[in-house]
Amino acid sequence: MNKGFYRFLRVWMFLGFAFLYIPILVIIVMSFNGTAYGMFPFQFTMEWYSYLFTKSELLPATMLSLKFSLAVAFTAVIVGTMAAFGMQYMTPGMGKKLNTVLQLPITIPWLVQGVSLLLLLNLLGIGRSYFGMFCGNIICVLPYVVMLVLGRFAMADRTPEAAARLLGAGPLRVFFDVTMPMIVPGILAGGMMAFIVCFNSFCIQYYLAPFGVRTLPVEVFTLIKTGYKADLNALATLMILISLAAIILLNRLGYSGSSLFSTGAKKGNDKL
Amino acid sequence: MKTKTKKNSFKIGSLWAGPSALMLLCLSLIPLAMLLLFSFMDGNITNGVFPGWTIENFQKMFSSNVFSKLMAKSLGIGALVTVICILISYPMAWGMAKAAKPHNRSMLMMLIILPFFTSQLLLIYAMMMILQSGGILMTLLGALGITTDGTSILYTPKAVILVLVYEYLPYMVLCLYTSLESIGDNLVQASRVLGAGTFRTFINVVFPMSIPGLLSGILLVMVPVTGSFAESALVGGPNGMMVGSLINSQYNTVLNMGYGASLSCVFLIILSIIMAVVRMLVNLAERRIGGETE
Repeated sequence: MNKGFYRFLRVWMFLGFAFLYIPILVIIVMSFNGTAYGMFPFQFTMEWYSYLFTKSELLPATMLSLKFSLAVAFTAVIVGTMAAFGMQYMTPGMGKKLNTVLQLPITIPWLVQGVSLLLLLNLLGIGRSYFGMFCGNIICVLPYVVMLVLGRFAMADRTPEAAARLLGAGPLRVFFDVTMPMIVPGILAGGMMAFIVCFNSFCIQYYLAPFGVRTLPVEVFTLIKTGYKADLNALATLMILISLAAIILLNRLGYSGSSLFSTGAKKGNDKL
Repeated sequence: MKTKTKKNSFKIGSLWAGPSALMLLCLSLIPLAMLLLFSFMDGNITNGVFPGWTIENFQKMFSSNVFSKLMAKSLGIGALVTVICILISYPMAWGMAKAAKPHNRSMLMMLIILPFFTSQLLLIYAMMMILQSGGILMTLLGALGITTDGTSILYTPKAVILVLVYEYLPYMVLCLYTSLESIGDNLVQASRVLGAGTFRTFINVVFPMSIPGLLSGILLVMVPVTGSFAESALVGGPNGMMVGSLINSQYNTVLNMGYGASLSCVFLIILSIIMAVVRMLVNLAERRIGGETE
């Protein structure tokens, strides 16, 4: 390709990234702005950060979301890893069928997923509850865990397991001493994805959270409906930094970009 | 499906997938199947008691034009946002895959996936801050004399489209990048050596090979955009309603869950049909273009 065309691509790319990041940078800058409503002139302050950690109504919602997402991610990791492990024993046909069903919670709009689950829970007399919210979120994060762990299985060399079995190790011993270390990066990445997706899943929590209970996404939704909130800028800045840290960590584990979202699990991972 | 013991190929180890299969059955398949049932429900479930059957929901939906109007509008917004995303992200993804220096690629990749890891609501909020009257963009445009002071596109349908493009652009870039990256440089080189210009190389070599990524990008963007309601609720203003808002209102304000169920059911069916058509068209295009290069 000629030089001029590549220069055009680079300029376009730069503009695209500017479009994506200017709003985020504005939030970060505004979180240090003392003037009300994010207006000029800019006055440096740390006030919003201290407000966030002392008085803000965002703090309890954040803590609730952290605890809840941890519980969901933990469960999803256990169940999802078991599933990926079990799928190793399935016939290709059966594995494919399960894989298709697994895609369902992430391909249908979460609005429909949330609504249909709410109706079922209502019918069962459970309705909006922590249990319901837990169920709704776990089904939406489970596919990510299974995909990422499956990807590790696809890459792994399976002969050491056979060797261990021949040498007399029991199935549990083989799993924890041989299989487990091979798939740990997938489990960690799956856990992180599950946590982050659950932490941010507004739609499901909006429909299934118990009345009066506000997780962070629900709280943020009601807050920004009413307009500008300076302490939200501070929280957003912290969340973006934490996300960045998570991405760097995932990168170290060998997961970059598309491998986190490739739903076919055929590629394993593509290191850059 | 997991416990077909009659097959002799069944291995006891596959039972490990049992809990997941059970969860998928109870939390995804059964609720979706029940949605069809609930769409014939007359009103709401109170204390676990089913209120009875009716076909009024569907009569109501198809007799008034509220649903069809909003559905058409949402599909239009979905298509428009998808097209804008493709136009912006194709050169971006191509640039990332081929024009960027290899050691920068990993950083660019991280920058593209950061929005995925950020709350959807924070992205909406970030855009709202830029757009608010008296905010950065509007002050700037006002100072340049392009807009009069105090006006803003916030709380109009235009803002909904802008926010949706902003939110879903990374999905499209990521999908296209994956396909474009796998195109061998030799192939492009060969096309150039054989005398094809940039445009012909694009039409005959690059574009056909990017179709799988394009398809997954379209599916990943169009489905959630068409079903979105948070964006229109937050930045759409009074005229920003989409079909998602209509479904949502049945659960949060009007409280007619049976009607809500039938709306979501028809919505899901229409969406599936459109996605199947998109898939078919793209496959057709792939074969067409693939044939021409012979």
